[in-house]
Amino acid sequence: MGDPRTLAVGDEIPAFSREGTVHHWNRFAAVNYEFAGHHWDDDVARHEGFPAPFAMAPLLHAYLHAMLRQWAGPSARIAAVGIRLRSPFLKGCSMTAGGRITAVRTKAGETVAELELWMDDDTGARLSTGTATVAFPS
Amino acid sequence: MSWITDEMRGIVGKVMREAVSHPIALSDIRKWAMAVYWPEPLPRQYWDEDYAAQFGGIVAPEDFNPFAWMAAKPTPDDPPVSMSAFRESELGVETPDYKAILLTEIRARHGAPMRPGDVIRCVWKISDYMEREGRMGLMLYTTLS
Repeated sequence: MGDPRTLAVGDEIPAFSREGTVHHWNRFAAVNYEFAGHHWDDDVARHEGFPAPFAMAPLLHAYLHAMLRQWAGPSARIAAVGIRLRSPFLKGCSMTAGGRITAVRTKAGETVAELELWMDDDTGARLSTGTATVAFPS
Repeated sequence: MSWITDEMRGIVGKVMREAVSHPIALSDIRKWAMAVYWPEPLPRQYWDEDYAAQFGGIVAPEDFNPFAWMAAKPTPDDPPVSMSAFRESELGVETPDYKAILLTEIRARHGAPMRPGDVIRCVWKISDYMEREGRMGLMLYTTLS
């Protein structure tokens, strides 16, 4: 778990991995009312130009939050998370997300870490990049 | 060829939708966290009120969507729009005849945490259109804020 006393630029946070299956995506579809065919139907995905169904962007955004929360712990404040999707996370692939601290500062009684984030699949393709701001009580 | 019509330029900056959530239910927070963390167990702070008390009580994960399934406003019959998709037709403008809509970027800044019982209000605007050639031809990028 992230310790605000030892945060340093260049530190990497623990990776976060998930499989690309409809078992994962159906659960998110159910809570986010997100049932577009390209997330579960092979024919719809192919019709739209994709080789297979792919994960929902809000789920990938949520995965980044989960990775940050697992690292930072329940008392930290996740202040900002951005994600830019570069390639689809396709059904049948696996995904690993990571992050690296790019800056640390103290502000208003908090230790604030800036991070760069990324997601890659098991073929080596970069699925997304992003940034985050996480504040720890000092 | 361009996807962007004069009518579309005319709605940039206008409010396309205002929504008000129902009060956030604790069970919605639990289900959201279960779905995101699956197959791992959901973290204790999202379901154990005694444990969460040391952090000020149960709060929703920052990525939680309080408008999923149904909102207090708009009601399901007024207007007949999806809460997870956006179309120019909501502002009376013809929607481009595109093949698919994809979400390509999300930038979220989180303020106060969402807690059980909170009612969330949200306003959406189209703030920009741009076009770029992509793998599937000319692609329209719509920025919502």
